[in-house]
Amino acid sequence: MDMEMNTNNLLSVRHLTVEYTSGGKTVHAVNGLSFDMDKGETLGLVGETGAGKTSIARAIMRILPDHATKSVAGKIIFKGRDILQLSNMEMQAVRGSQISMIFQDPMTALNPVRTVVSQVAEGLKLHHKLTKADATNAAIDMLETVGIPEDRSGEYPHQFSGGMKQRVVIAMALACNPEFLIADEPTTALDVTIQAQVLSLIKRLRDERGTSMILITHDLGVVADTCDKVAVIYAGQIIEYGSKEDIFDRASHPYTKGLFSTLPDINKRTDRLSPIKGLPPDPTQLSKGCSFQPRCPYAIGRCCDEAVELTEFTPGHYTRCCNIVIEGGVVECPH
Amino acid sequence: MSTLIEVQHLKKYFESKRGTVQAVDDVSLKIEQGTTMGLVGESGCGKSTLGRTMIHLQGSTAGKIIFEGEDVTHLKKQQLSKLRDNMQIIFQDPYSSLNPRFTVKDTIQEPLILSGKNRTKAELEEEAHRLMELVGIEERLRMSYPHELDGGRRQRVGIARALALNPKFIVCDEPVSALDVSIQAQILNLLMDLQDQYGLTYLFVTHDLSVVCHISDYICVMYLGQMVETCLTEELFIRQLHPYSKALLSAILPIDIHQKTERILLKGEVTSPINPKPGCRFAPRCIYACDRCAEPVELTEVLPGHFVSCCRVKEINSL
Amino acid sequence: MTGKYENKNLKPGSFPYIWERISHNTGAMVGIAVICLIIVLSIFSPYILKHNYSTINLSNAGALPSLDHPFGCDEVGRDILARVLYGARYTLSIGLLSTLFASVVGIFLGSVAGYFGGVVDMFLMRFLDIFQAFPQLLLAMTLVAIFGTGLDKCILALGISNIPGYARMTRANVLNIRSNEYIEAAVSIKCSTWRIITKHVVPNAFSPLIIAMAMGIANSGLAASALSFVGLGIQPPKPEWGAMLASARNYIRAYPHTVIFPGSFIMLTVLSFNLIGDALRDAMDPKLRD
Repeated sequence: MDMEMNTNNLLSVRHLTVEYTSGGKTVHAVNGLSFDMDKGETLGLVGETGAGKTSIARAIMRILPDHATKSVAGKIIFKGRDILQLSNMEMQAVRGSQISMIFQDPMTALNPVRTVVSQVAEGLKLHHKLTKADATNAAIDMLETVGIPEDRSGEYPHQFSGGMKQRVVIAMALACNPEFLIADEPTTALDVTIQAQVLSLIKRLRDERGTSMILITHDLGVVADTCDKVAVIYAGQIIEYGSKEDIFDRASHPYTKGLFSTLPDINKRTDRLSPIKGLPPDPTQLSKGCSFQPRCPYAIGRCCDEAVELTEFTPGHYTRCCNIVIEGGVVECPH
Repeated sequence: MSTLIEVQHLKKYFESKRGTVQAVDDVSLKIEQGTTMGLVGESGCGKSTLGRTMIHLQGSTAGKIIFEGEDVTHLKKQQLSKLRDNMQIIFQDPYSSLNPRFTVKDTIQEPLILSGKNRTKAELEEEAHRLMELVGIEERLRMSYPHELDGGRRQRVGIARALALNPKFIVCDEPVSALDVSIQAQILNLLMDLQDQYGLTYLFVTHDLSVVCHISDYICVMYLGQMVETCLTEELFIRQLHPYSKALLSAILPIDIHQKTERILLKGEVTSPINPKPGCRFAPRCIYACDRCAEPVELTEVLPGHFVSCCRVKEINSL
Repeated sequence: MTGKYENKNLKPGSFPYIWERISHNTGAMVGIAVICLIIVLSIFSPYILKHNYSTINLSNAGALPSLDHPFGCDEVGRDILARVLYGARYTLSIGLLSTLFASVVGIFLGSVAGYFGGVVDMFLMRFLDIFQAFPQLLLAMTLVAIFGTGLDKCILALGISNIPGYARMTRANVLNIRSNEYIEAAVSIKCSTWRIITKHVVPNAFSPLIIAMAMGIANSGLAASALSFVGLGIQPPKPEWGAMLASARNYIRAYPHTVIFPGSFIMLTVLSFNLIGDALRDAMDPKLRD
């Protein structure tokens, strides 16, 4: 985005590029991604498998897999400091206490041989330098806040259900009161009714503490419920960005529009769904033109040849599609 | 329209170290020919077990299974083989539902070889080609192995395999849950096209209410092995009568951001299906629970074609 | 995500598939080269070497390595090079044949136990427990003591002592595979039990066993040497490496080369199979792939 780097932003990501090696080829997971986040905002990163959303989260947390990551480029400015330039020690201090993460699969996110209270207390001991007793008490309070009673705090993860494990993970993430939270598909692995409980918990805690949040998901319903701003990710780039209203009421990019029409909606019973034809692109062989072009019903000649920039076509609403840009200052979407 | 398949008071219990798991407990339902019955519920409710028991992939503990008017609950090997021609299944996981050492051709041809009709090699090839075309797999992928295909294509191979024996009834066990959103729509459309073309009858098992709303004519809601509500799909989405169905539907997150829903949050966790207490199994989490809930519940027709098993259904819904 | 292997149309677990993967591993290639070299030399040694492996010449007893005797002579004057090369036949044949025997029987028992479960499983596993209650080498020794010494008895004894390991491994793989949906699919398309086991279960259970077999050849070869060393197994004057070590045991100080050369070849052979086995494990473990 061609926005000025605003020092009031909590987080500014500029031209983030992440590449992995896989079987001798280079996987371009994230390609020159930029966005900003204000304090107290919740940004939804929406996309399908392989779009690069988790790579973005891991790049911010600096937990990309060492042996497979080929390169990380760009800037991630958090509270005035470039995270990618921090030393490991400095990043240790940030991770967990200032930026925290909720992982997707509660089954594997918890250590099976340690009690839940000790796992929540770990962060407190490390970052807030509390004694074991104080940390344990604070952890018990945190667990109560997420709905796990004190008499169960000494139990092990296998004694809890999926929903409760996820609550423990949330407690761990929020124990040190971080300013920034990354939630990577926090409810995907949970049942619908449990999902409702957990999302409600996340929202409540976020509102109480004023935490800024990035919520990664493929579920547009979750985004509609929780987020203020939305970024649609495709092939490692943001292809549309805007407020929730911009994306849900006025989607402009063909992929975003395709996503909406491909979903069965309980309010509209149509005879057949309109799927997006074709498959997501191979991240080892990205073309220089628009990455969505092979599947786009509106593609024209220049879509194959030129890389398209993310352009603001209404205030705060950005899209990466050349059809709109050709129209010049026309606000009404030609699609 | 005639009833193609019916189960009456079907039970499936498993013995485990901790006791008897009552996975499916006294479930009765009917599926009309050419229609899709949606079976919804959350994990552990027994919907997959019910589907598998209906087509004899697992033996039933009690109750009856009736196919085309005949009691097929207990069959000898010969009769079971004939029945399998008519009842097939499509699985959830496109990764574990295909033998990694079989090519696409091998997987599709295997049921043809085992069908008992002695086809020549040329006939097998032709039939496999026809099936591949039907489900939309390119001819060039004939000799591909599963690890070379994406989830959507693997699922198509699974569908072709299920169609090979020309079944009348197919259990679709969460066939699109493991697929990306943009591929889900392709597969759902395919299933609906095949149903129109061949008059197939589906039992569509899923936890995703928006998918089931789209594809099914009737819906059954299950909770912890018990059937709690069953009716026409439209009716369930317009008005749900059972407290669990209400909670389930209110938990769906709408894509319309201007729609405000009152979310009913259930308290507590799902109770265990091992040695459950008698009566309604939803009672521990139900806000309307009372003493009568400990008594055994039956599915009763509360409105025309709309069956619910709840002792207080009339009061709760002001009927 | 497609890697450079995923596009190749190779049947998973087949020989070309495995070769594709280990051919890039230096250790494995070295190991394979060494084994092949030893096999070729062993087969052709009686024809290309000057000296015979059994000719005794006391005047050369303990001779140090020279041009005439590149590895020197042993305590009764026999050419060590000829003996070592000929002796490879014993170690390799025992290693290969006992592993083959153990794996065929083990895979069969393990598949049956794993697929049918219940009483069959319990009965078979308790039966194998009897064998596994003994330390493997001790069991082999006991069996040799019962059967007698000699190449074939040695193969049989080592084979039997290794069966439980392969059986258990196969059983574990089969239990894993049974939970896959393609097995249920096979039942629904009217596959007979026998066909399911032979076409769906065993071929998929087998791949992880290849690693165990490679390591197993090394272990059996080592065990054969150990048996011969203690006087069971292959008896002297046959030039089995372990037997050679046994004879040379008393002369370590005086004629160290009589111990060094057979010992080194044991080490080389075992190392080669281990390198191959490691490469196989790396090649076939999907998690290590990137």
